[in-house]
Amino acid sequence: MNLKKISPLAWILFLSILTLLGAFLSIGIGAVFIDPAVILHYFTGGNVENSGFIIGNFRLPRIVMCLLVGTGLGISGAILQGVVRNPLASPDVIGITKGAGLSAAAVIILFPELPVIGLPIAAFFGAGLVTVGLYLFAFRKGVQPATLALVGIALGAICQAGIQFLTIKFPIETNAALVWLTGSVWGKDWGDVWLLAPWILIVTPITFALAPKLDVLSLGDDVAEGLGEPVQKARLLLLIIAVLLAGSSVAIVGTLGFVGLIAPHIARQLVGNRHAYLLPASALVGILLLLLADDLGRGLFPPTEVPAGIFTAIIGAPYFLFLLRKLQKS
Amino acid sequence: MKKQWTAFFMLLFVLFLAACGNANDEQTVEDEGDKNQESEETRVIKHEMGETEISGTPEKVVALEFSFVDNLASLGVSPVGIADDNDKERIIEPIREEIEDYTSVGTRKQPSLEVISSLQPDLIIADMQRHKDIYDQLSEIAPTIILPSLAADYEGIIDSFQTVSKAMGMEDKGEEVLAEHQQKMEELRAQVPEDEDRTVLPAVVADSGYYAHNMESYTGSLLESIGLKNAIQSGDDRYNKINLEQLVEFNPDVLFHMSAGDETVVTEWENNSLYQDISAVKNDEVHEVDRNMWSRFRGLISSEKILEDAVQYLYEEQK
Repeated sequence: MNLKKISPLAWILFLSILTLLGAFLSIGIGAVFIDPAVILHYFTGGNVENSGFIIGNFRLPRIVMCLLVGTGLGISGAILQGVVRNPLASPDVIGITKGAGLSAAAVIILFPELPVIGLPIAAFFGAGLVTVGLYLFAFRKGVQPATLALVGIALGAICQAGIQFLTIKFPIETNAALVWLTGSVWGKDWGDVWLLAPWILIVTPITFALAPKLDVLSLGDDVAEGLGEPVQKARLLLLIIAVLLAGSSVAIVGTLGFVGLIAPHIARQLVGNRHAYLLPASALVGILLLLLADDLGRGLFPPTEVPAGIFTAIIGAPYFLFLLRKLQKS
Repeated sequence: MKKQWTAFFMLLFVLFLAACGNANDEQTVEDEGDKNQESEETRVIKHEMGETEISGTPEKVVALEFSFVDNLASLGVSPVGIADDNDKERIIEPIREEIEDYTSVGTRKQPSLEVISSLQPDLIIADMQRHKDIYDQLSEIAPTIILPSLAADYEGIIDSFQTVSKAMGMEDKGEEVLAEHQQKMEELRAQVPEDEDRTVLPAVVADSGYYAHNMESYTGSLLESIGLKNAIQSGDDRYNKINLEQLVEFNPDVLFHMSAGDETVVTEWENNSLYQDISAVKNDEVHEVDRNMWSRFRGLISSEKILEDAVQYLYEEQK
């Protein structure tokens, strides 16, 4: 494929520029359209009255949120696909987001009086609990990638059943939970950004340092073992990191699907399998997907806000089917 | 290896640039704060999320639930923005007549904060269940009060109305309206005979199921307040999805159906002899009512209209 002829670094540069451009353009999009000239004026410290209020209070936090969550989910997906050595692996498939979803839905529905901060804590706790479950059920003196995926799917299914139960048992309260369950950056403010930023900004650099380990792991256990890599330890460490990234992201914005699954795939098409390139590229593609989804959600039917999760699914699902067909052929 | 770190730094750079946008913003917020401080008389309104200071008479009010539109209309105030789910038809006739043109701020589930802020309101009234997560952001736009609506029963609705009239600085007018409302309720109550022993059941009938409103629900508690006993006195939930067998078990004597769509579960049940055996069906006491009015609005005007409807269906038809 001639896409591969372009060097990975050039692709990453291109994606970075695209991301910055996308983020800038996104500032203007929404129920109230803001002219790029006004945006520039705002950033140079000019007074643009209400547009400034909209940019500073609504658009920027959402866009920064997209950057953080896109990074978190994109990298988490890339790591999981490397660890599990299965292109279908992602935070959704392995049950992490479902665990967060169940515990968030339970909190929204059963404890409506809880302060707002309780929700992300509960969601993160849910994601962690599923991971502990994964560990208990899948790790017996080490773990096989396939076992990990299957246990993840099973745990995810249990959580999904719990969510379904809650939605059927409490049809009215579910209304409020649904927004969260589809995943949306709507209504996120700087407080939420500061809650998520440390996780993503601290964990992401660690993942880049671990990129060579991922390369070795993806060669298969035997080869990795032969190369002197303590396979099981590395796998556990990477798994925890993937959970931290996805769990913290999902805790804030809700169970946004498909980004963690699709972003690494698109990135792989562009920059190949070396994780040192794949991880940043996955992050950038994740960001772009999310920015696009949120722009559509905000700008398509104003003043109606469509959750970004709906658009990531609309964009993600067909691409995934296309990908599956392609994998079948090769 | 060097090259690989370049890639990583590029990503960091992107994130860093984004963070820069941040610094600008703080000032903007403070500027806005100063503007609001010039005030004549301030009052502190207690609500679900704390206390909010409101000064003067708010002129531009945004209502994020229908019940607050009803409250405002009762006070003779026309909101500038309403979360009407993008469907003006959802505002029931008697209220649409009362209020002037307004701007839709999107869905109640996810109202557009941007549109709300562009209306530059002086007061925002939002629902506890749907909007508590965005309370901080709403408060930055304008003084915001959060009241129960979605999860409230009839008494809660009355409490909300009193809070709204306080927030509007119209306590006297509020008392007046409430007294009128209570008198009207008395009149309606008088039309229900003392020995009324039929049980009623309001329910939303949709494609996805039959949602019964029990005695604690808004509509249920409202009907109970004039002496119409709800068929479901138990149950921990105000709104229950029940099946045909449960409905037969409760065996209500009167059914008020708020239909969502033409094809509902009841369309299917009608062919079932079990359904035909329900007291209400046998006695031809199944009444189709307007869902917007009966369930979505939850206010003073709509409460009166619901009871007028109910009394009409129950007592005037036979005459």
